[in-house]
Amino acid sequence: MGKNLKLKSARAALDMSQKDIADAVGVTRQTINAIENGDYNPTIKLCIAICKVLNKTLNDIFWEDDNNESKPVG
Amino acid sequence: MNQNQLDEMQTQRKNNIGNQSFLLLMYMLMIDGGLYGFGFRWIDYPANIMIIVTICAGIYLIRLINSNAYVGPSMENRRPVLRVMLTVAMTVAIAAGIVVLLRHASFTNTAQLNEMSAPIMFITGAIAIIIALVTLIIRKSQ
Repeated sequence: MGKNLKLKSARAALDMSQKDIADAVGVTRQTINAIENGDYNPTIKLCIAICKVLNKTLNDIFWEDDNNESKPVG
Repeated sequence: MNQNQLDEMQTQRKNNIGNQSFLLLMYMLMIDGGLYGFGFRWIDYPANIMIIVTICAGIYLIRLINSNAYVGPSMENRRPVLRVMLTVAMTVAIAAGIVVLLRHASFTNTAQLNEMSAPIMFITGAIAIIIALVTLIIRKSQ
């Protein structure tokens, strides 16, 4: 799973820290960090909560296009 | 949110670590039983079971804390000073009690060790239940 740079840029655009988003959606900062780094695949419920906080749609943040698609290892 | 206030990633990690710890416990007990079958007795029953369970529980707890799956996001912002102080005090009391108990008991042979193992296990379990109850009461009152 590749890094979620869209989430990171959307967060930076609103000048929010990982801790701010984490507090807003009720998870730990480490969870947001893991999502950004592609170490954790969040549930749709958490995806929606994050999108609402960032005023974005699911497509804006979590849809993987050709430019931001995870590459299989090996 | 579940009862422990862990978020979804923490719950997933906790379940993963719990499964691995359970398998570790099972394998260690099987190895212990196998060694006993081959005639190698590294320590007498029930101390062997107590040591294996304690090791596995310790590994489980350390891995939970290490992977940030022990306390949830809501608990991270709290400062449960009273609860922490009480737990530390009770832990010290338990440790001191066990040390005193062991000092008064003279282990000259394995039979005496066997006799003391059961009371130590009972006392430890009973005190753990008391700590859990006191923590529950404090949590309800806060």
